[in-house]
Amino acid sequence: MADLRIVIVDDSPFSIAVIRGVLEDAGFEVVGEASSLEEVKEVVQRTKPNLVTMDMTLPGTDGLECTRAIHSIDNTIKVIIISSMMDDEIVQEAKKNKASGYIQKPVDSDELLTLVHRIMDHEELFLSLDSEFSDAFKEALLDGINKMTKSLLYFKEESFHHEEHSSAGLTIIMGIIGGFSGRMLLDMKMETAGRIASAVLKRIPSGNEEILAVIGELANIISGNSCSILNRKNKAYGLRVAPPTIMHGEQVHISAPSYKTFSALAETDFGDIMINVGFQRGDDHWM
Amino acid sequence: MDVKYINPFIESFTTVMPQLGFVTIQKGTVSVKGKQLVDTGVFIVIGIVGEVKGNVVYFITLEHAKKIASTMMMGMPVEEFDDMAQSAVSELANMLTATAATIFSNVGITVDISTPTMLYGNDVSVKMNATRVICVEMTADHHPFHINISLE
Repeated sequence: MADLRIVIVDDSPFSIAVIRGVLEDAGFEVVGEASSLEEVKEVVQRTKPNLVTMDMTLPGTDGLECTRAIHSIDNTIKVIIISSMMDDEIVQEAKKNKASGYIQKPVDSDELLTLVHRIMDHEELFLSLDSEFSDAFKEALLDGINKMTKSLLYFKEESFHHEEHSSAGLTIIMGIIGGFSGRMLLDMKMETAGRIASAVLKRIPSGNEEILAVIGELANIISGNSCSILNRKNKAYGLRVAPPTIMHGEQVHISAPSYKTFSALAETDFGDIMINVGFQRGDDHWM
Repeated sequence: MDVKYINPFIESFTTVMPQLGFVTIQKGTVSVKGKQLVDTGVFIVIGIVGEVKGNVVYFITLEHAKKIASTMMMGMPVEEFDDMAQSAVSELANMLTATAATIFSNVGITVDISTPTMLYGNDVSVKMNATRVICVEMTADHHPFHINISLE
């Protein structure tokens, strides 16, 4: 929060002075100002802010067009709309254009500062989750396989990526909900699932139904334990998991979600297991 | 599973689809299925957690998924079910479920939803958590859309 860099976009020198005053009195650094689309692009590229306050009515453009221009330069920059106009329709438009918040002029200093703090806290929390979740899920996979089958595994490939991939045959999907929403999926060959089920049950499974029940429970334990590890690190994550959905078929492709995910391929005594996890940044500061 | 859990999904579909350019929205049959569904096409899975817990799995055939994506993209031709089309259909499932979650909260049932996971393939069997899954068949401009709900 200390190194927060802010750009103010407004066509009124008076409004700029008011907003600048509120932000600087609170100890934030205002690194630039702009009052047209061209200036917005130039100032954002040059000053690389984390946050922009955006007027809605601007000569030759509007706040929504400028917000889109900012996000095409860097989509992690947070934009707060500050406008004299405020109604449901325009707030919906602002949300659709990925603005992070909306306040009405005349600017109330407490309201503006509360919103800035809320948005930046959320961002910091996301960055901390983003740096912690891959280890937590790997640990829980290793631990879950170890405790349920008394065997070890090792991770032979790991990557963050953003592409579609093919299923090995069986996919277990766990939705994740909380401070941030996301999902975990496990992917493996049907034969691998069969061998895991045999090891867990210490006998030959009675059929596919029983194999899927064991694998569903394994996915439930791994995702539940991972989320507990993370929630213990920071209870603000508040992560919880939905029940498993299990899918298997031919030539199944798993589409790339709209956010980056982490994949690790684990070699086990039973065959390879891929774990894939990701969380969406989200915007929960719309109140 | 309580039948009152399906109405928010029907209401959501009839509210959201017209906003995306679909004109004729119709409700087809509502049926109870076993745990296992098998189909060839596109599936989108979204987890639901809160006062009720479970999953919703949307199913559309590949051909209809392309046409739905095309309508959502202002009629742009969609020949292949590429990243753009996948993203459109995935976002549609997200919007439908988020709207259903809002309708749940209006009747005092608070739920949160996970991000969507989309898969497509042939003869895909889907096993959901509940012993009974309710399948609502809806159509938007004659594109069939299956909403499989398991909530407990």
